[in-house]
Amino acid sequence: MAKRQCEEALAKLFEYIDGELPDTELLRIGEHLKDCPPCEAEHQINEKIRMLVSQAHGDKAPHQLRERVLSTIQAARAELQAEG
Amino acid sequence: MSEETSLDFETEALSYMDQLYAAALRLTRNSADAEDLVQETYAKAFKAQDKFTMGTNLKAWLYRIQTNAFINTYRKKQREPKRTDADTVEDWQLAAAAEHQSSGLASAEQEALDSLGDTEVRRALSELSDDFRMAVYLSDVEGFAYKEIAEIMDTPVGTVMSRLHRGRRMLREKLREYAAERGIYERSGGDADHG
Repeated sequence: MAKRQCEEALAKLFEYIDGELPDTELLRIGEHLKDCPPCEAEHQINEKIRMLVSQAHGDKAPHQLRERVLSTIQAARAELQAEG
Repeated sequence: MSEETSLDFETEALSYMDQLYAAALRLTRNSADAEDLVQETYAKAFKAQDKFTMGTNLKAWLYRIQTNAFINTYRKKQREPKRTDADTVEDWQLAAAAEHQSSGLASAEQEALDSLGDTEVRRALSELSDDFRMAVYLSDVEGFAYKEIAEIMDTPVGTVMSRLHRGRRMLREKLREYAAERGIYERSGGDADHG
């Protein structure tokens, strides 16, 4: 059976990782993770997945898209100026 | 509109194009639709720039326009029924509490994760449903706060948390599956309790 502190730490693990917890809870859960290897393992696994996701998505906008967007904006600006 | 209070649209808004495009690719799952979506986002943002409040988060504002454009253009026909927040919160909290595993399994899973590449991570994310994929992307890749994601997705913070929990759990499950398919990770033996 997981202990009560484990339940709290696991239920709030994502908020802990995302920096969304108030200081008191952040400290309490941080302390628990230091003392509880199974919870700390869960913490590390979820941190790792978060890092893998953030690293896998650095696509650059294609050059032709940049030109397309620029010409759309220039056309819209010209239209605005013609009206005003 | 005076010079100091107006947005230098070309310089400021366009500086986020790579990020919007990367997000659009995750949303639409193909480059042609992603380009159209980004194009539409900038056209809408340009027309609505008077509604942008200087000093607030321009990136979040652009993401909100893009997310709305995606929902309206690409998702009109497949709207998902709304769930109550109370149900989903209770649900994921129970699920989270059940998730201790033995140290052997945990370290096997960590090793398996180390061996996975970008392709698998992208594939896993692409298999999540739109709402989960968006929430995970906005948090993990863009680092938006829950409150900002709630504004971008036009949904309560509780719903964002629920989507993040569910989305990340599914993502993890998929990564485990891919690792198992490649024979890197096997879920055998061990119990789900403290060692």
